[in-house]
Amino acid sequence: MADKQPSACVPCQGKGLCGGKGLLTLKDGAWTNNPLSIQVLGICSALAVTNKLENSLVMGGALIFVCVGSNLFVSLLRKWTPHRIRMIAEVAIIATFVILFDQFLKAFYWDMSKQLGPYVGLIITNCIIMGRAEAFALQNPPVLSIVDGAANGLGYAVVLAIIGFFRELLGSGEVLGHRLLDGDWYTPNQLMILAPGAFFALGVVIAIFNIFRKPDAQEKKE
Amino acid sequence: MKGSLYTLIYAAVLGTVCALLLTAVADVTAPFRQANAEAERNRNILKVLQISYPPEVSVSKLVEIFENNVEMKVLGELQFYRYPKGPGQAETVAFAFEGAGLWGPIKGFLALGPEMRTIRGITFYQQEETPGLGGEIASAKFGKQFQGRKIVDASGKVGIVIKGGGEKRAVNEVDAITGATMTCEKVEAMLNSVIEKIVQETGNNG
Repeated sequence: MADKQPSACVPCQGKGLCGGKGLLTLKDGAWTNNPLSIQVLGICSALAVTNKLENSLVMGGALIFVCVGSNLFVSLLRKWTPHRIRMIAEVAIIATFVILFDQFLKAFYWDMSKQLGPYVGLIITNCIIMGRAEAFALQNPPVLSIVDGAANGLGYAVVLAIIGFFRELLGSGEVLGHRLLDGDWYTPNQLMILAPGAFFALGVVIAIFNIFRKPDAQEKKE
Repeated sequence: MKGSLYTLIYAAVLGTVCALLLTAVADVTAPFRQANAEAERNRNILKVLQISYPPEVSVSKLVEIFENNVEMKVLGELQFYRYPKGPGQAETVAFAFEGAGLWGPIKGFLALGPEMRTIRGITFYQQEETPGLGGEIASAKFGKQFQGRKIVDASGKVGIVIKGGGEKRAVNEVDAITGATMTCEKVEAMLNSVIEKIVQETGNNG
């Protein structure tokens, strides 16, 4: 395992608190290095729960919550966490936030909890969150880590919402349960609701993101 | 050695804090979660007994509808739910069934007509079968096949049969799900175990 993974964005070590780095971190997580469309991480849940926009939004919210929470605490504890068990500590922190969210859904949004099924619990294994804890929160101060967590969560949530919107629209002719495409001239394409539809939608989203993204320095060299 | 001790203490403290936090949250949300689970069960009983209720109904209202319409009764060792409530003739009765599925427990309700021989409906409220294959037991299409089937066939043989093939069906047969043979076998076994008890309790002459 790489002990000190280089941060995906410009780290602000040795420059005091994040002065000026906040926006850069935000842009990096949500756009330049978007976890889903650029790094293609965490697509398991992205494929599984995006058959409806509502599910996608809740899942995106869950990821933002967990990513902000775990980044904050991993960052706060970074100077005290023994290096050897840092990953176990990270998992414990992540799992705590995930279970908190899961219990909250089960108690107050039962139907949503039922629809998302095991995928809320599986956020624990979502590579985005562990990745941000390892690559960013371990080396950066708490406030900047919160920004990074929110940015990556947001990047994931927005892509999820886009996929969810189109899958629900094309797959059932509805958006958030409101019928938009009339049944007379549009026959809902069931494929979009099933797993293959998610692959197609994600592929198109990745392609579009790549059209608009400037290739970074390393890719240019190659 | 000093480093190891620190690591141990750190792990213990972090673990304890996380565990305490989660226990507290589980405690606070427990009544809500239990109410939701109970409502889910009631909703399934109402569904299998074909009692209509407003779809966006609140949990407390659902319990009220349930208690106004459904009565729990006992038949030998078996408990069942009867609709409507009261002394008159029952319209539908529902028996709970459960058993091991392929990946996890399967639980559901089987609704019968008042003579306890004709199936009115079936619902699975808990199952973890393979989505798209065994998971299809929870689909409306699979469930619908059971409606009107008999739990005892013309020759007096007890039990329903879930099997493949497109031939004409006997009164106690339903079509199996392709690619879900093991799930179907398990569902058949758990249904027949409760069906046998029902037939035993109500006498074999029905």
